[in-house]
Amino acid sequence: MKTGRKLVWVLGVMFLAGLVLGVAPAEAQKKLAVLTWNIPYFEDGFKKWVTDFNKKHPDITIERLDKKGTEWSTFYQTQVVAGTAPDVIDVQGGLWLEYASKGGLLDVTDYLKRDQDYTKRIYPEFLQSWVYEGRNYGAPLYISKTLLFYNKLMFKEAGLTDLPKNFDQILEYARKMTKGEKSGFMTLNFDWLYWPLFAMNGVELLTPDLKKPAFNTPKAVAVVEALAKATQEGVINKISWTGRWVEPNGAFASGNVGMLHAHAPAFLWFKSQAPWVNEETVGAAHLPGGWSTPNSHAMLISKSTKYPDAAWDFVKISTGGEGAYALGVGTNNLTGDKQVNDQLFEYFKKNIPASVPAMKTQLEYLDKLTGNWPAAKDAEIKDAFYPELQSALLGQKSAKAALSDAERNVNRVLQVR
Amino acid sequence: MQIIKRRKTRELFLLWLLLTPSLAIFTLYRIIPLFWNGILSFQFWSPYKPAEFAKLYHYQEMFFYDDAFWRVFWNTVLFMASAPVGIALALGIAVLVNTQVRGRNVYRTIVFMSYPVMTVAVGIIWQWLYNEKVGLINYILISLGVIGRGIPFLQSFELALPSVIVASIWQVIGFYMIILLAGLQTIPSELYESAAIDGASQWMQFRRITLPLLRPSVFLCFVIGIINSFTNFDLIFVMTQGGPAHATDLLITYIYSTAFKLSKFDYAAALTVVNFLFFLALALLANKASGGEAGAVEIGK
Repeated sequence: MKTGRKLVWVLGVMFLAGLVLGVAPAEAQKKLAVLTWNIPYFEDGFKKWVTDFNKKHPDITIERLDKKGTEWSTFYQTQVVAGTAPDVIDVQGGLWLEYASKGGLLDVTDYLKRDQDYTKRIYPEFLQSWVYEGRNYGAPLYISKTLLFYNKLMFKEAGLTDLPKNFDQILEYARKMTKGEKSGFMTLNFDWLYWPLFAMNGVELLTPDLKKPAFNTPKAVAVVEALAKATQEGVINKISWTGRWVEPNGAFASGNVGMLHAHAPAFLWFKSQAPWVNEETVGAAHLPGGWSTPNSHAMLISKSTKYPDAAWDFVKISTGGEGAYALGVGTNNLTGDKQVNDQLFEYFKKNIPASVPAMKTQLEYLDKLTGNWPAAKDAEIKDAFYPELQSALLGQKSAKAALSDAERNVNRVLQVR
Repeated sequence: MQIIKRRKTRELFLLWLLLTPSLAIFTLYRIIPLFWNGILSFQFWSPYKPAEFAKLYHYQEMFFYDDAFWRVFWNTVLFMASAPVGIALALGIAVLVNTQVRGRNVYRTIVFMSYPVMTVAVGIIWQWLYNEKVGLINYILISLGVIGRGIPFLQSFELALPSVIVASIWQVIGFYMIILLAGLQTIPSELYESAAIDGASQWMQFRRITLPLLRPSVFLCFVIGIINSFTNFDLIFVMTQGGPAHATDLLITYIYSTAFKLSKFDYAAALTVVNFLFFLALALLANKASGGEAGAVEIGK
């Protein structure tokens, strides 16, 4: 009996020792999980971020996670449900609005006010892209917005010597370049990237208070009719309205598209696919009126983070100064940091000179950004609007009917809970 | 009598004992999530907010306001209805390669080769085949003078779904063929010999001997076809992402995009319930069509 009691004691002590030695250190270990968006190759730069971060927070371990764009939101949301949301997240486009509007993100407005040395370095226009209901939720990681790439060879072949100056001229020039397998114009369509075509015609998606649709106007009907006609004639490549990224950029790389309305990262992608692309053959310019849709990335912080101050330090390291430079060089993008971009231009001029004209457009006409409405139901509005527009552009419905149906759908999204 | 009863009880016990691990996993990963999904469909819920009771809100939304749902539902029915076409084609091929034709093993291998190919690869291959400008199908049609301009198969509202269905049939036809071929080879040749002596034509032999005896194999193919139409997520996702304007969306892809692109998990749960009930109804019908005892276990024989 005595031996039995001893055994129980020994086992009890061993169990407690196990708890102290095994569990306690794990609990004491602080960790920040950082989720990036499809930059698995960005290893050295990420290590630099971690090194710089650990100089200030040697007690915190960084766990790196990276997901492709198609998997990113699925992964993040399942992690949120599981109660293990990554602390710092790299987000693209309007995904974050849903999270911010439901209280899932940390408001960083006060941090930005406090750290003026950092904030002054960042472009206010790009910071503004991450504001919802007057509060800021993110800091720009790398910036991109749409521009017009044009095939100089096709321009020359069609006898075109200058660039289109308005919407009608875009279609007119495109028509001149269209023959056989060649089409004159193509645009990317995800995340409202096509909206500059409407903005240059004075068409707005929503009323200024974002509460009602504003797009069902005679002018919008005329724009959709013109786009649909050009699409039916093959002047606008149909992939414009059905492809996502690879297909339209791939079509431009094939050399059969006169103009491509896409964001800056498209350049290096189609250049990598097409040996014919160089400064002599592909030009980069603004759309008429300087309109463009931003498609930038930013670093945001999950509300559930246990270490908000440390998370903010990580955001600052990755989006400003040397950390931002490492990102620019590592991913061939411009950043939200003005001073860093000056250095990056020197780097691009030396190493990828062909990309410089496209890069320059990214920092111009920042007052003509469109398609970045801070609407909480951004994704739902898109889903209510785009299929109807697609129906008209691909000849399934009249422009008038499609815009009326889209208006009804968007109204419902805005009115119901 | 009592010995038989005791033996039955023992067999039953053994049966349950062997089934328990699988049932536990099935309950954990299927029944509980299904049950939770059912509850979720009657709630307003998001990963960031506590749940609120929503009554029948999502179902009303689905049946009375969501035009896309009806389109997607109809697409799923059409996709499912295409299964017999694939089975009929596979049956034709199976009958051909079951004859003494030279090189039949090569033909069998060629037809079957499409099945082990990854669905994503199948999607990409067919995407290129259908390409309006540089696709092989358009190239052949233009070369033969059938059409003057390339057809945008995957960008067309009328052709996108049939085009995806063709790709799906192409992938699965080899599998159907193997099942049917196995079925054909179990039919005793004496039956055909007797029928031939009695003067039955080839067509008569096919109708009166081959088809009735192949019924279990055809039924199996049909069930696989139905399951395929409910789960063919990857092919749609790669080829069209459900577009243009939901023209190729199936219930399964619509559920995914509703949950993960629009963050409407509660509404997606309601869609899943409808998807489940539809599938359940079909399974019951199929079970009835097969004699009502599919999967039944007989004890004590």
